[in-house]
Amino acid sequence: MKIVSTLSVARTVWLEALRRRDIYAIVIISCVLMAVVMGLDFFHLEGLNKFYREFALKFMSTATAITVIVLSARQLPREFENRTIYPLLARPLSRFEFLLGKFLGVWLTALFCFGLFMVVFLLGMAYLQTNLQWAVFLQYLYLQTMMMGVLAAMGFVLSMLCNIDAAIAFGSLLFLFGSTMASMMNTVYELSTPVAQWMLIGLTWFIPQLFLFDLSEKTVHADIWPPVSFEVMAALTLYALLFITVYFTGALLLFRRKGL
Amino acid sequence: MIGYYQQGMNESNSSSCVIDVKKLEASYGKGRECTQALKGICFQVHRGECVGFIGANGAGKSTTLKILMGFRFPDKGEVQVFGRSVGNPESRERIGYLPEVALYYPFMKARELLSLYGGLGGLSRSELQERIPLVLARVGLGGKENDLLKSFSKGMQQRLGIAQSLITEPELLIYDELSSGLDPLGRFELRELLKDLKQQGRTIFFSSHELGEVESLCDRVIMIHQGEILRDAPLSTLLEECGDRSLEAFYIQTLQQQHKGA
Repeated sequence: MKIVSTLSVARTVWLEALRRRDIYAIVIISCVLMAVVMGLDFFHLEGLNKFYREFALKFMSTATAITVIVLSARQLPREFENRTIYPLLARPLSRFEFLLGKFLGVWLTALFCFGLFMVVFLLGMAYLQTNLQWAVFLQYLYLQTMMMGVLAAMGFVLSMLCNIDAAIAFGSLLFLFGSTMASMMNTVYELSTPVAQWMLIGLTWFIPQLFLFDLSEKTVHADIWPPVSFEVMAALTLYALLFITVYFTGALLLFRRKGL
Repeated sequence: MIGYYQQGMNESNSSSCVIDVKKLEASYGKGRECTQALKGICFQVHRGECVGFIGANGAGKSTTLKILMGFRFPDKGEVQVFGRSVGNPESRERIGYLPEVALYYPFMKARELLSLYGGLGGLSRSELQERIPLVLARVGLGGKENDLLKSFSKGMQQRLGIAQSLITEPELLIYDELSSGLDPLGRFELRELLKDLKQQGRTIFFSSHELGEVESLCDRVIMIHQGEILRDAPLSTLLEECGDRSLEAFYIQTLQQQHKGA
């Protein structure tokens, strides 16, 4: 595998996001959030302060997740539609290297967006003179990074199965399900019929439990929560890598079979 | 069919064979809607040759070229480029390809695009810095290095497409619809460029509807019709057959005979 070729393809994704102003939109949203921070400080209420931090982290995570889904879902269909893929694959570049480059490009672009959000968040924290438990915060950042990887791989496989609009819609629904509803699976399981229970078990194998990667509440209430243990972090890393591998392999198998 | 392949020229020239297509079959669609695009075609292209690939719309030209580049997969048959199977990306190391219709990333500058393609082709940074201005000047885009591609016209995009195909100085050029989108001056300049490349010993294989272009450039012509190769012969032979008129006359005469036969 040629790493340089893969990184060259990744750079095109990054350049596109930068020059098509996708990322600037994220920066503007961040600035609006900053303004909200200043408004909340006006009331000098500790409860609102915590609410802001929790809301801001969840909002930033969701906004970045949607960005990842949109970016990944449109990469391959746009290449096919505009035929920009022909001159690329006319080079000694395998489809695996091409897809990996696209995946890495989306992941890195998503991390840049998330990084911008986190800069805004930290500026807000500094403005509010709020202490941050760095250990938990860094764990939050790491797990969010893994989640972005899972979503990017999911976007690619969905874009090989359906058109851009459908891939974005499915991806967003799966993200919402994985980050909210999935946490209620145990309760729902107890109340379900045997057939529904089997279906729920099946769902847990195909849809990643994204809420596991969300440490926003722990970050905000870090005064009462210790950092997550190393074993749990390692297990979550493996869990994320497993889903990334499965989704990426699925996308690659479909892409390799596709006649252009 | 009278062709080089059947005449056994492949045996005498096997070491110089650049493209080797054997009994290639391809189809589109499934079941009742299945259309046979290629019906077991065979041909070879040898080092230093300039071969024109002609035929009506839907004859199978683009399908053949896509299979040669590894974009499509054949149903049956074998295709080798420089002795390697086209499924192997390394077979494309020495190829410059121009697709029939392609847009180039509108958010990139001409220099960045050529750096991307050249880099993928294995060129170093210093080689790219040296070659990019030269190749852009060669296709009439000198001084446009830092222009965003979204400001390029269709003709300029086609010139850029030719530039990207030449950036790695490949031994084999495969062009699908060579002069599509170019104005008369652009076509003339492209013809002159290809004559230069041919004189340098490059192998050129291209499809075109511009038969005058094919006539002025090619040593040999392969004519495809409804997925089958009708003729594969030196240009001079084809011209003799139609009383030394023109390739266009030969083409029309051959197709009319086909329609009468059908």
